[in-house]
Amino acid sequence: MFPKRFDQARPFVTLGIILLGWIFLPLAVKSFSRATFFEIQAPLIVADSFVRDLQTFWSNKAHSKEELLKAGKEVSGLIAAYASSNDRIAYLDAEVLRLENLLNIPSMPDFRFEPARVARRDFSGWWQRMIIRKGSNYGITVGAPVVFAGGVVGRITEVHRYTSVVDLITSPTLRLAATVSGDTRPISYQGGLNNSFTSPRGTVDFVPLDVYATAAASKHLVTSGLGGVFPPGLSIGDITSLESSADGLFKSGEVQLDQRLGTLTEVTVLVPLNPEE
Amino acid sequence: MRRYDPRWLIVTSANLLLWWLTGLANHYSAGFAIHFYLGGLLIAYAALRLDPKQGLIATVLTGLMVDALAPVPFGASLLLYSLVHVTVLYGRQRFPREGAVFGIVVALLANLFLFIALSFLLVGANPRPGNAWLRIFADLFFSQLAILVVAPWFIALQDRAMELAEIHPETGRPVAR
Repeated sequence: MFPKRFDQARPFVTLGIILLGWIFLPLAVKSFSRATFFEIQAPLIVADSFVRDLQTFWSNKAHSKEELLKAGKEVSGLIAAYASSNDRIAYLDAEVLRLENLLNIPSMPDFRFEPARVARRDFSGWWQRMIIRKGSNYGITVGAPVVFAGGVVGRITEVHRYTSVVDLITSPTLRLAATVSGDTRPISYQGGLNNSFTSPRGTVDFVPLDVYATAAASKHLVTSGLGGVFPPGLSIGDITSLESSADGLFKSGEVQLDQRLGTLTEVTVLVPLNPEE
Repeated sequence: MRRYDPRWLIVTSANLLLWWLTGLANHYSAGFAIHFYLGGLLIAYAALRLDPKQGLIATVLTGLMVDALAPVPFGASLLLYSLVHVTVLYGRQRFPREGAVFGIVVALLANLFLFIALSFLLVGANPRPGNAWLRIFADLFFSQLAILVVAPWFIALQDRAMELAEIHPETGRPVAR
């Protein structure tokens, strides 16, 4: 029997043992435990997104024939426009290939487009992530860029069997190389300004001194292609303010991001076709 | 024959349910840039009502469950939850721990501590920490409000689950319904 004084402190001794045990636990065991506990919860996360899809399906079934005919007309118009764009893209691809061969420059990274439904959004002041309903079963790889109609969504940070985790461009943990549209000089972009009830914002650093931007005359920010993760020219947002940095060599500022990032239901993962590069 | 003791399983399952519901709420509130964190509520029942061993098992498993989904160093929630758990365990005999009101107060205080501890751990990654704290305090406010609303239901749910299993939460002895 322990003396009473020790008996009272026993919970803290147990905590100390847990702490020591955790410190000395091999990394492989920790990684395995994390993956296991994630996969245990994954069906729950995915299940409610399937229920939402079912809700959408039944609400769509309730539309009248007139509404469906009108939507069909709009879709056929869009298909015609996209068919024309596809022809133009095929022509431009051939032109790019011809110039690459002519100038003997390395080819641009090529991607496979993998659309995926958003299962869970998790946007806090600490992190901004979402879980999508495709994982290693669709060949998704860690680091793959994720995009939507409005531009960059983020980057894949974890890949599980049937799900993947996307770190959003609104997250303070995501940095990428960007440029002002029409310029080639690289700028550092980082997410992280996400006040409640307002649109998400990010920050830019190392902006050249001759670049000016205000809320009224914003500058469009796109990916630079440097770093090899994101292809060049993808939309990030608009630089709405710039001011000189402390050393006076560059400018820093804020970027207004797309408001739709908070309500996304479907994204596209750009899976690299030649990941070894 | 020794009877199987499912108390840790009941509390961990209830915690899993709450964690899932919180995730669902966060999914829908993402558009408004609001985030709910109810970590304190996950510990309150295990620390106040269960015996030390069963309570700690439930808290450790809950911590691992939370860590698996959050982008924090694996084990951060486990250790923070265990710290809060043993602190409550140390002082619980001095308070009316059977009451729901005390459970809510403990959940609120535990959540406050966990929220601030996690914020200090994670806010360094933000390019403008001052700005990040504004958002963190807004999230903290909504999280505490959510605990105030959800805690009576959640504590009653776990009590009811113990009743259905015909088991006393602290002693583990069978009780008649």
